[in-house]
Amino acid sequence: MNERIAIIFKKEVIDNLRDRRSVTSTLMYALLGPFLTLLLMMVVGNLFNEEIDKPIKVPVQGGEHAPFLVQFLEQNNVTLQPAPADPRQAVRNGDVEVVLIIPEEYGEDFRLGDPANVQLVLDGSRQSTIPTVERLSDLLQSYSAQIGSLRLLARGISPSIVSVLMVERLDVSTPQSQALLFLNMLPYLLVMTVFLGGTAVVIDTTAGERERGSLEPLLINPVRRWEFVIGKLLASLPFAIVTILISLFGVAVVFNVVPVEEFIGFRLGVDLSALGGIFLVCLPLILLASALQMIIATFARSFKEAQTYVTWLPVLPAMPGLALAFLPIKSYLWTICIPAFGQQVLILQFLRGEPVSLLNIAVSIILTLVLAGVLIYVTVRLYSREQVLFLRGEKGSKKRRA
Amino acid sequence: MIEVKELHKSFGEVRALQGVSFVASNGQITGLLGPNGAGKTTTLRVLYTLLEPDNGTATIDGHDVRIEPLEVQKCIGALPDARGLYPRLTTRENIRYYGLLHGLRGDALEEQIDMLIKLMQMEEIANRRTEGFSSGERLKVAIGRSLVHNPKNVLLDEPTSGLDVMSTRAMRDVIRRLRDEGKCVLFSSHIMQEVTALCDHIIIISHGKVMNFGTPNQLRQATGQQNLEDAFVSIIGTEEGLER
Repeated sequence: MNERIAIIFKKEVIDNLRDRRSVTSTLMYALLGPFLTLLLMMVVGNLFNEEIDKPIKVPVQGGEHAPFLVQFLEQNNVTLQPAPADPRQAVRNGDVEVVLIIPEEYGEDFRLGDPANVQLVLDGSRQSTIPTVERLSDLLQSYSAQIGSLRLLARGISPSIVSVLMVERLDVSTPQSQALLFLNMLPYLLVMTVFLGGTAVVIDTTAGERERGSLEPLLINPVRRWEFVIGKLLASLPFAIVTILISLFGVAVVFNVVPVEEFIGFRLGVDLSALGGIFLVCLPLILLASALQMIIATFARSFKEAQTYVTWLPVLPAMPGLALAFLPIKSYLWTICIPAFGQQVLILQFLRGEPVSLLNIAVSIILTLVLAGVLIYVTVRLYSREQVLFLRGEKGSKKRRA
Repeated sequence: MIEVKELHKSFGEVRALQGVSFVASNGQITGLLGPNGAGKTTTLRVLYTLLEPDNGTATIDGHDVRIEPLEVQKCIGALPDARGLYPRLTTRENIRYYGLLHGLRGDALEEQIDMLIKLMQMEEIANRRTEGFSSGERLKVAIGRSLVHNPKNVLLDEPTSGLDVMSTRAMRDVIRRLRDEGKCVLFSSHIMQEVTALCDHIIIISHGKVMNFGTPNQLRQATGQQNLEDAFVSIIGTEEGLER
């Protein structure tokens, strides 16, 4: 390496390592992804597990009109409770999940063989009540079918004559693909880590340098501008690389050491080669992110302004990433070509343990490196202009001293 | 030795330099005196290669600032308008960084740093991080690092601004010492007393033009004023933007 670049690189690394606050907050970012995923698995996993086994509590109004139905429900693990005075209000307020109302006419209708009306008071906008409501309505359906069959039998007709279809569900999802819900989020969080890992260093060495007033004297040293740019850019890389390594370590711990199966009911493994693959596709992205941030920080009027712009930057790759979380996007070559998004597609494939096409990896790496090269060229051009010394809107030799 | 010929520089509408010419010789302290906004900082920035002139030439020890900026940077030590330090680095580390960038290495570099620490009386702050330094201490470090490669030409932009009396006096001693070593010292100021106290040769600049130049005696004779500061005022035509 060019000796002057090495000097600049070394100085910036040491200088920024001493910035304790930035270093710690970067480490926090690094662990955010895996930690958030773990937290979600615990919360959501617990939610699902509970609903299946636990008896559900259902407030009933007019239970005395339908003693057989009440008995049926109780046999099927439903704990019946007295209904609140105003069922609609209570459900709307979320005090109870659902209320079953059995009108007075129930007995009469039942005896005559007419469809007997029962009402479920529910709030469809409350996601968390869905399992309870569905279970209750399934039970009511099966009670209805059971009594119906008995009635047909009493008239000498086979109940199967009214069963036109018998729907059988064959769920092919494996435990791993069920956990996609959680995994889909992780690629974006990892890419965000890539973007944030070197941010503090990039801002400090560009916008920070100018704001401290150390840029002008620095540029008087006999060093070419491109050497300054490359030295400073390289200095951000070790920080970003360590950040992503810590993140991947966190992922490995969450999926291999923490007993996540207790929460989600099945085991998920992420092996070393998958982690290595993720690291590989992230590397060129680190360079791209640093170069992009450097351009933005150079344009910013102050350290604060640079910080504001640059910390918003990871939202951009989130846009397609959010779509990925909801849509089953395949890894077509064109998706790989979108910078920062292609990486997320590849990372997801690695996490899912799918075979990842070498062509796709190569295209992603080469394309990202080429784009990073263009951005670095732009940065060097920016630093070759004399305006780089002055904050925007402040031309020439106006004094800034108190 | 610094030679400036017919420098022109505009920033959009603002014509900062309109034909500035002068010579600053070795073994002399040359003062660039003028009110705020006269073009002193712009002139110096052209000399230390941070600004490119629209027209005219500037050479330092024969190297044209436009054609051989790297050679120019090697033979100058500069204290520019902005003189920020790295607050997380110590005094020594701040100076060492510039020394390394100038190609100094090993013992030669460390000896030079020791010499500067002694020269600028920075022993007490040598191994402290520069965060929280007083303006006097900061200036010492900034000067120290600009002299680390022992340059033949020293350019100082308002070197005493913001300093207390003691520091100002120490600063002047350093400037005189550099002159006595045979260096070409060029400094800018809007403080007349300072120029009077230090300079062998004075260039008076206003509105981007050189109004007059010469030794203190020549300037006194040219204006017929006994007091040098009155001579300055009569040359510039106003006292505005100057300090006595």
